[in-house]
Amino acid sequence: MKRNLNFIEASSLLEASETTSVDLTKIYLENIKQAEELNCFNTITAERALVDAEKSDLRRQQGTLKSRFDGIPIGVKDLFCTKNIKTTASSKILSNFVPSYESAVTQNCIDAGLISLGKLNCDEFAMGSTNKTSYYGPVTNPWKSNKSDAKLVPGGSSGGSAAAVAADLCVASLGTDTGGSIRQPASFTGTVGLKPTYGRVSRWGIIAFASSLDQAGPITKTVEDAAALFEIIAGHDPKDSTSSIKEKESFYHNLNSSIKGMKIGIPKEFKSDGLPSSTQKAWDDCMKLLQTNGAELIDISLPHTMDALPTYYIIAPAEASSNLARYDGVKYGIREEGKNLIEMYEKTRSVGFGDEVKRRILIGTYVLSSGYYDAYYIKAQKIRSLIKNDFNQAFEKVDAILTPSTPSTAFEIENEPNDPVQTYLNDIFTVPINLAGIPAISIPFANDENGLPIGLQLITNSFEEQKLLNIAKNVQDTVNYESVPKNWWQE
Amino acid sequence: MFKPYILENMEFDKDSLYKLGKLSKIQIDESKLKSLSSDLGSIVEFIDRLKSIDTENVDPTSNSLDQSLVMRDDIASDVNTPNEILENAPQKELDFFSVPKVIE
Repeated sequence: MKRNLNFIEASSLLEASETTSVDLTKIYLENIKQAEELNCFNTITAERALVDAEKSDLRRQQGTLKSRFDGIPIGVKDLFCTKNIKTTASSKILSNFVPSYESAVTQNCIDAGLISLGKLNCDEFAMGSTNKTSYYGPVTNPWKSNKSDAKLVPGGSSGGSAAAVAADLCVASLGTDTGGSIRQPASFTGTVGLKPTYGRVSRWGIIAFASSLDQAGPITKTVEDAAALFEIIAGHDPKDSTSSIKEKESFYHNLNSSIKGMKIGIPKEFKSDGLPSSTQKAWDDCMKLLQTNGAELIDISLPHTMDALPTYYIIAPAEASSNLARYDGVKYGIREEGKNLIEMYEKTRSVGFGDEVKRRILIGTYVLSSGYYDAYYIKAQKIRSLIKNDFNQAFEKVDAILTPSTPSTAFEIENEPNDPVQTYLNDIFTVPINLAGIPAISIPFANDENGLPIGLQLITNSFEEQKLLNIAKNVQDTVNYESVPKNWWQE
Repeated sequence: MFKPYILENMEFDKDSLYKLGKLSKIQIDESKLKSLSSDLGSIVEFIDRLKSIDTENVDPTSNSLDQSLVMRDDIASDVNTPNEILENAPQKELDFFSVPKVIE
């Protein structure tokens, strides 16, 4: 069978009876086995996947399909609670946690008949942009530079989700994005990653990091796949008080690539001398492409772009320190015994959390502590209003905004800077979008001089995912980026 | 390397670090004190950049969604029953979570 089957192709093959869900599932389980070295999965649920696939095949025979995508195998970031399947957030503190309920997103996938192959590795509690903070070890990017044999990071925090799609270990996957955790790894692995509008996808049952920024979305091989999987997971959920009551649209059905007359904004604050020339060239080439295809380019300004990252590093840790207070060795997860209750808490949290999570809890506690709350936390929330206002003003003039997804392509696992702030820079182009709550997509556009994928980011106003996907499809269909990594891990 | 911000690598005050550890219920490991104080110093220096921005007359945004709170119907459900929840407890007694003694 063709390698790198996408969601739509898989559904057509199933429909034409050219394959079965069981056969597809077996192929992917074999691919996963051969790719152990990439460390994409925390938990592989082979047995259950095969049982579910059998049931899907039976539904197909009986004409009782749950959706046209029934029977397609996917991977799930280990941040979504899955009933009776271990869910760890890639943390030691949750290394024994088996949820008694199913997250809204994974329930939607089950209701559409999708088959879960297992839980994908990620940065611990989704905090990181390298996948190196995982308690289960780093994920290796399936891509390698054509000039070196060094292992590269897949990006993060949804590093396992992106690497698994790029290495063809599943047809598509689910990730979450708090500051770029879907788009940055998608950019590093040549995949498509969609961060929907805040409120589009239910957060119920997703292990919380920063509740006002977290949003789940698909990582896929094509824009069509992203539209299809997004349509499956989106929609109002009464169990999430921030879930939007807006009707969900038929994103996949309504997909078209017409961009004639659209206005695309190019923000001057994203231009930098420090940007690699290949990334700059990809950005320039995409501008020309959009123009050729009938769009108009407009220079815009988002004056608070450079303030977004420090704002994020107040708001996200503040919310995280509050959300992660629940891990105390009492209700779930591991416990380290202590002489008294306080010592038990302290020992459990010190042993259970990794260094990056501890750093963020400490910073979050600092910015929320008495005497600093107004100076940091409220100040950051006010700057968040300014950032949102920048985008509101921009969208009065343009339909969408085009930027690079990341300031670099994938870098070596061993080559991370010592200073955490330098690592945070990975998310400089993605973070403002989460603060504004608007949707954005990263699509692969070209390869750099080392043969590594460069992703570009498209951004639209809140709830305009259809327009976003349409523009992304136009770019995808014109540029025809079909590069896939060499499968060195199978040799 | 992409370096749009210039930092001086401040150190975070060690007494304050221990205090934060107490507040966060995280023990500060002696062997990591230096690196932690340097990491936190960098982060605080980084977020301090915002102090110079004028936010007079700006309202804070806590959540980007322009929607008032939606209430759901008050109907009992049978997910997450006590027994299921207690399955994950590190220690339990009868139908309760069990913790080290709190009252002397």
